[in-house]
Amino acid sequence: MGILCSRLRPEEKAIFRALTARGVDFDRLDEERLFLYLHTNGLAQQYNLIWSRVISHTRALYLLSILNGWGLPTVNDYRTVLTCGDKVLTSQALIGHGLPTPRTVVAFGAEAALAAMEEMGYPVVLKPAVGSWGRLLSKVNDRETAEAVLAHKITLGGPGHGVFYIQEYVEKPGRDIRALVVGDEVIYAIYRRSSHWITNTARGAEALPCPLTPEIAELALRAARAVGGGILAVDLLEDADGRLLVSEVNHTPEFHGAMQVVERDIAGKMANYVWSLAATRSTERR
Amino acid sequence: MRVGILCSRIRVEEKLLFQAFRDRGVEAERIDDEAILLGLPGDLPLRLTGSDGGSPTEMTPVGPYDAVLIRSLSHSRALYASQMLCASGILTVNAPEVIAVCGDKLQTSLALARRGVPTPTVRVAFSPEAALVAMEELGYPVVIKPLNGSWGRLQAKINDRDAAEALLEHKQTLGGYTHSIFYIQEYIPKPGRDIRSFVVGGETIAAIYRTSSHWITNTARGAQASHCPVTPEIDALSRAAAEAVGGGVVAVDILEAPDGQLLVSEVNHTPEFRNSIAPTGVDIPGRIADYVLEVAMKSER
Repeated sequence: MGILCSRLRPEEKAIFRALTARGVDFDRLDEERLFLYLHTNGLAQQYNLIWSRVISHTRALYLLSILNGWGLPTVNDYRTVLTCGDKVLTSQALIGHGLPTPRTVVAFGAEAALAAMEEMGYPVVLKPAVGSWGRLLSKVNDRETAEAVLAHKITLGGPGHGVFYIQEYVEKPGRDIRALVVGDEVIYAIYRRSSHWITNTARGAEALPCPLTPEIAELALRAARAVGGGILAVDLLEDADGRLLVSEVNHTPEFHGAMQVVERDIAGKMANYVWSLAATRSTERR
Repeated sequence: MRVGILCSRIRVEEKLLFQAFRDRGVEAERIDDEAILLGLPGDLPLRLTGSDGGSPTEMTPVGPYDAVLIRSLSHSRALYASQMLCASGILTVNAPEVIAVCGDKLQTSLALARRGVPTPTVRVAFSPEAALVAMEELGYPVVIKPLNGSWGRLQAKINDRDAAEALLEHKQTLGGYTHSIFYIQEYIPKPGRDIRSFVVGGETIAAIYRTSSHWITNTARGAQASHCPVTPEIDALSRAAAEAVGGGVVAVDILEAPDGQLLVSEVNHTPEFRNSIAPTGVDIPGRIADYVLEVAMKSER
């Protein structure tokens, strides 16, 4: 198999160790050094499967689109990454599969966005449809903030400019829950605790063990399936009534925080799953 | 007497200005800022390309002007055009120094402070982290403004830390010179209005209240203009503010603090005035034309 990644984070190092320990024959493919002739499906001849650990969502999308277009299986596949990388598409998939999610509204103009926020009632959270690590998430507590943030968003421009993803603010108990799904198994759940309302570990939240209750496991599995399955991290919010809501599904999860607090061999579980898929493909080709 | 008006679009203001010069027997020439080519001193100071661009040979040298009234919509065009013209000995209204100071809120604050003109408290920070500290220290609400910009664009009233964080991150992502220097101003709870006074050649010729239910009281943002009597206090403060930025034709924005104190918030170098003539009964374009002609006269001599 080939593993696409440009930067070696603790996650990728753990994955390489796990694959090596299992005697898996793999190449590291640095996407920054990669160019693909679209008319010749070069990589499809060499590999049974490509595992993407590409950090850039846009790069991942194009790479997986090309590879899957050649009939080369990938983890995750293009459709899943497309859905998870876009909060509008994720919400749609989750809602379509009957999963509990925060109330969400999508507006297509700044004035409509303001009207939506006023109708929904503050506080609300305004999120870029595409983006990671809690970047540019805005908690909007009043109309003046709404106006100011919208004006700045419009000035920012960019491809997502003109689409406003607005979500009710869920009063979390100072933490959220992240559950890791690998195929049909939920490997672990952790709490991400922070005094800040943004609970990304990249923003300083602390990872703590969270008991993997049947409710969490079931929701996480259903959410993962809703977006197409694979290796996915499902973010869950506990609302004031103790109800669990699915907030996001991440297609290329980081797990260095979890590695510190979870006993299980996370990279090993992932390696087993990906290797079994690659082996299936290899058998099929023979 | 040759007078030029450097403009981008002909708004109501510019039409009124052309008419005011005509009434005074001077046919002011329109200089389109999109068509001008400027040279350094010793070179051709000012030429115009044709309306359709035109090749260099078709360019017409224009002037020499005794004075050029700068009415460009873009601050940077106004600034650089006035600097180039003045370098070649053509007087501009406003002078480049005035445009430089008024076009930058930090320079304005400094100029006002230097002359002891009362202003809201201002803090400047160069990183989002420092800006957050400044806001927490000043206490919410605070106002954060781009260093340059007009019509209240991207001015943000920040009521709490959540808003501060969101705005600072957006500003940082916006980047650029304007957004990476954080200009933070104490929020003055205005009585639903502010005061804009017009100072022309050292004289406070008129003032309006700008009334709005929104905290941004620009008439371009829907504020209503009404007559404001030029009290001795408003007069003195307006003249002091105008003088602090270098005089000329300026509009001074004044805030009334809850304790009644008047604070100068901004000074504008190319004021719009269409909504201020009727309520005040003052012929603002006429007064501006008179002043420009006065400057041009000095230049002739």
